[in-house]
Amino acid sequence: MIKNPQTVSFTINGENKTFITAPDEKLLALLRREGYKGAKYGCGQGTCGACTVLMDGRAIYSCLLYAMQAEGREIRTIESIGTHDQPSEFQQELIDGGAVQCGYCIPGMIMSATALMETETTFDDEIVREYMDGNLCRCTGYEKIWSALRRVLDREEGNRNPGTGGSSQPES
Amino acid sequence: MKLCEFLRPASLPAARDNLRELGTKGMALAGGTALHFMQDHTPVTAVDLTRLGLSYIRPEGDFYRIGATTPLADIQRYRAPRWALHEICRRISTHQIRNISTIGGNICRVFPWADLPVVLLAMNARMVVYSGKEEEFSADDYFATQPAKRFLDGNLLSAVKVPSLKAHHGFGSVKAVRTMASFSMVTIAAVLELDGPAIKSARVAAGSAIPFPKRLPEVEATLAGREARTEVFQEAAAKAGAAAPWRGREGMSPEYSRHLAEISILDALERAATFARERAE
Amino acid sequence: MSLEQTKNFKQVHHSVTKIDARQLALGKNSYVGDFAPPDALIVKMLWSPHPHARIVSMDVSAAEKMPGVNAVLWHGNVPRIAHCTAGQGFPEPSPYDTFMFDTKVRFVGDRVAAVAAETAEQAEAALAAIQVEYELLTPVFSIDEAMAEGAPVIHDEPEAHVPIPIPYEPEKNLVARVGCEVGDLDQGLQDADFTFDDTYETPYAQHCPIEPYTAMAHIDPAGRIVITTSTQVPFHSRRIVAQTLGVPVQKIRVIKPRIGGGFGSKQEVLLDDIVAMFALRTGRPCFWQFTREENFRTGRTRHPIRVRIRAGVKKDGTITAIGMDCWNNTGAYGGHGLTVVSCCGSKVLPLYRCENIHFLGLVYYTNLPVGGAYRGFGATQSFFAMESTIDKMAEAIGMDPLEFRRKNHIQSGEGSPVFAALGEGKEGVPMTVGSCALGECITRGAEAIGWANRTDWRKKTGRYRRGIGMAALMQGSSIPHIDMGGASIKINEDGSFNLLVGATDLGTGSDTVLAQIAAEELCTTTDKMIVYSSDTDMTPFDVGAYASSTTYLSGEAARKAAADAKRQILYTGAEMLGLPVEEVICRDAHVQNPDGSKKVSYGDIACYALYQKNQYQIIGTASHITQKSPPPFAAHFAEIEVDTWTGMIKVLKYVSTIDCGTAINPALCEGQTEGGTLNGISYALTEQYLFQNGRMTNASFADYHIFSMRDKPPIQAILVPSYEETGPFGAKSVSEICINGPAPVFGNAIYNATGARLNEFPFTPEKVLQAIHAVPK
Repeated sequence: MIKNPQTVSFTINGENKTFITAPDEKLLALLRREGYKGAKYGCGQGTCGACTVLMDGRAIYSCLLYAMQAEGREIRTIESIGTHDQPSEFQQELIDGGAVQCGYCIPGMIMSATALMETETTFDDEIVREYMDGNLCRCTGYEKIWSALRRVLDREEGNRNPGTGGSSQPES
Repeated sequence: MKLCEFLRPASLPAARDNLRELGTKGMALAGGTALHFMQDHTPVTAVDLTRLGLSYIRPEGDFYRIGATTPLADIQRYRAPRWALHEICRRISTHQIRNISTIGGNICRVFPWADLPVVLLAMNARMVVYSGKEEEFSADDYFATQPAKRFLDGNLLSAVKVPSLKAHHGFGSVKAVRTMASFSMVTIAAVLELDGPAIKSARVAAGSAIPFPKRLPEVEATLAGREARTEVFQEAAAKAGAAAPWRGREGMSPEYSRHLAEISILDALERAATFARERAE
Repeated sequence: MSLEQTKNFKQVHHSVTKIDARQLALGKNSYVGDFAPPDALIVKMLWSPHPHARIVSMDVSAAEKMPGVNAVLWHGNVPRIAHCTAGQGFPEPSPYDTFMFDTKVRFVGDRVAAVAAETAEQAEAALAAIQVEYELLTPVFSIDEAMAEGAPVIHDEPEAHVPIPIPYEPEKNLVARVGCEVGDLDQGLQDADFTFDDTYETPYAQHCPIEPYTAMAHIDPAGRIVITTSTQVPFHSRRIVAQTLGVPVQKIRVIKPRIGGGFGSKQEVLLDDIVAMFALRTGRPCFWQFTREENFRTGRTRHPIRVRIRAGVKKDGTITAIGMDCWNNTGAYGGHGLTVVSCCGSKVLPLYRCENIHFLGLVYYTNLPVGGAYRGFGATQSFFAMESTIDKMAEAIGMDPLEFRRKNHIQSGEGSPVFAALGEGKEGVPMTVGSCALGECITRGAEAIGWANRTDWRKKTGRYRRGIGMAALMQGSSIPHIDMGGASIKINEDGSFNLLVGATDLGTGSDTVLAQIAAEELCTTTDKMIVYSSDTDMTPFDVGAYASSTTYLSGEAARKAAADAKRQILYTGAEMLGLPVEEVICRDAHVQNPDGSKKVSYGDIACYALYQKNQYQIIGTASHITQKSPPPFAAHFAEIEVDTWTGMIKVLKYVSTIDCGTAINPALCEGQTEGGTLNGISYALTEQYLFQNGRMTNASFADYHIFSMRDKPPIQAILVPSYEETGPFGAKSVSEICINGPAPVFGNAIYNATGARLNEFPFTPEKVLQAIHAVPK
């Protein structure tokens, strides 16, 4: 039950929707209440990244953003990425590479990586680390998540710039 | 702060009118990431500033003009000649925060750990405040006290003007942290103007391990007119102890903060000098 | 079976895709919070703001009447039943010193009263309306204060007792005492050419699983309590909830869905009793999720332990004496206190050959956050002391610390008197080490880090100095004779199997690993396994995920259950083929004669058995207890760079070698090693609890620093093969040992870089700088 109900309208995974909300409701709470449960509560303070979704193509912490700040924007969640029959390329690399342990951080990681792939044109290690620095993981040590992402980015760089090698140093 | 109402004014004057009308019951909202640090339950009406066309970066004469609601991520990505603000922005918090947090949000209510005030002081930036009309304030003036007081009667920050780095000017900064996303232990920013081998002018500012960001006049005075070399920088950095009231951070002592500030000043000056020497034009 | 034959494995020893990876990568509903019904009541807890106080009076009447409030729980309306929250075997080797709600609070973050309301906001408002009057008591904030003559008694309640005959003196704040003597320590020290006597301190830390503690309960149509909880110990949870609510075990079902990490923090019953009680009282589903702040303050922690090592070494490199004394600060409640301090000795002292060993572990209460199970479990703390001492010994006699370890570490076929002397609450189990590839681990790790390039600190100059350090490590695999796991496996008509195990997958991949083991035994493929785990109604018993036992113990139960099913499959297959059962074998999901000219598929066998003739359900069931705890071994190496002007440390490279026996799933073994290593790295460098009057002041990820992808150094995990005869297909364990390395490795590396020796961590820049300044020129 919502006190002081108001409405907010935004595009969610390509669909225009209007939701009942309250001025002090955070986007994470709205999303989970409306069935988009891939975004998770890890801290509620904008420090762990488990709640990461895209707003107008940028990765944001849905636990910090007020739902009403999303008015008129384009929101994308993990539910828009891949299916059981056709996981996305990065999802498949994560699965194949043994990079999914408890999985709690993974949807957030995928959203940040999606923002990276859709915004940048080159993917040197420093840029990649900057895009991924807001998603904490305690299980994997990041190694296999990094190498899965690197495989996807190297292929992508190869596709965009045929004839040049992609960077494949895991870290420096 | 507990949001009870949400207003979306269509223009800067309309936003100011809303805030003036609401008084203490109103709150300017840009990214909103700082609200996490204001945990009381005071009911307020949010006045959304993000749809007023205040997100931009453009060259304007001898300055770069940055709109008040420009996200840090945009500043981080911006590249231009005689521009150096990206370096500190890529070291603030995390990617998701930088996408939402704005330059205005960082400097309208200054928290002790804020990095941008330190950099803007060193760069001698100018803040543009809208109070019905636009007024400019130097960084020295703007950061002399908690800027939040300036905005109590509905005034709004409209833009920040950062001087483009002239020839022979170099910028250097150091942000000492435990991990990349942490709040700073010490932030130092320096702009040096060189005249041949000599320091013609120096602006050195510090933040984080002190209650409020400030310039370090004792350090600057030691540099003025001297040769830009390590021994001079060390002598200037040694004045850091007297220059500010250092506080312990993260379980470490005030003495360590002072020491860290000294080393950071030295490193920042070396970087600024190197930068300045490379820029003859 | 031997190392050679591991090449023939078809399912185990392959990086089979983790069964739940795709579901999790797609963000499908998987965790407790994803299953909370929209009408669930929200639970919030009022926590103590004081470190030590008596509750003189409490008035919840105003709270009970507030909008949306369905129930309030406090000491006045719940049973007063002394118990222990630690997820351990029964009866627990821990004091029963906890009540659902007590009339005393013993740390900042202790329970005071709880509310279940329609919304979180209403619950919070109700908490604020609860009136509590406290009588403040003098708090105890350190082991020294706890041990002092006339110290305030933290547990003065008459009900506190231990359920098994172990030392327990709460009037002295003493939670436990354990020790052993081998040979004569004083004689050993006298025989030495060099002796050492150093005291080391290890700090608090929190596990920081990204999913905080979360639990919910509802009453099912039959009137039973169903608890869905993020737990490592569903069966212990059921027992303890039954105990504390005063209801029969039969009335309770505990289910663990996917969980978002545990690392030991969820080997505890901290929420389940409350949500269960609320569900009973209100008849509604009740949901409780800790905030991150609550996870830090009230959640279980690493035990901070003071370790004193007295040791002696001869010029020829013989270790003549090791005396280890541990003082364990277990915080306000005593669960896991004894077992953790026991592991300080039992999982570390056997590593090096020595004839004169002394061990004493003392555990004390304080009015601080409560230590619980945390990956490494005491070994992490004492390895810091042990491996720092080993380096000091090597330097004293002028020997390369790597060679010194090689000369002295335990080998395959050897035993240690410590194995028999030190158990967990009981005597230990004598053991001879079977598989041991530590020598090879040392060689491979040394090569990967470039040990040959290591130079003495006295030759190093300049602001930035590099150093290389190492540590040798061991742990255990399961708690022999005490812990048990069961499994059952039944066939379906398409040759698939339902594998039911009590064993608890925390994200570690145990569902997958156990499926691989069962598939290997059954000569079929892992993708034919449908695994269902950790449901106290549906799956056989298992103690849960701890003590590095899931592969070694639960895996063997799964293998035996598969073998049981295999016997039945052979029997029916033989009947179908008209052959004697001795003349048929299983291969590639078929029963066949040796040359394959006659065969029948598992699917056809299942249809025959389920529908056609002499019908029965082919189902295998087995349990397992272990007879020994074979240690995994590891050698860790790192190169660091120290900024001698600021004391800051940069980790350039970290190498974690691991001998876990057969790596059932190599990718998952690497993943455990990489993750545990990084956790150990931030534990050594940046994690800490800062206190003000007993209250943790840095209770958020902003102020409590764990590493992001941008902080992490390159970590190289190297699996070094060995074969453990007593483990399923040669496996031991892998998950805990890796977290033990970084603190001693960095301690030794800082010394190699600068000559500065630190006996406590985290290695904050200030401490490193102070130690550097203290190095004699």
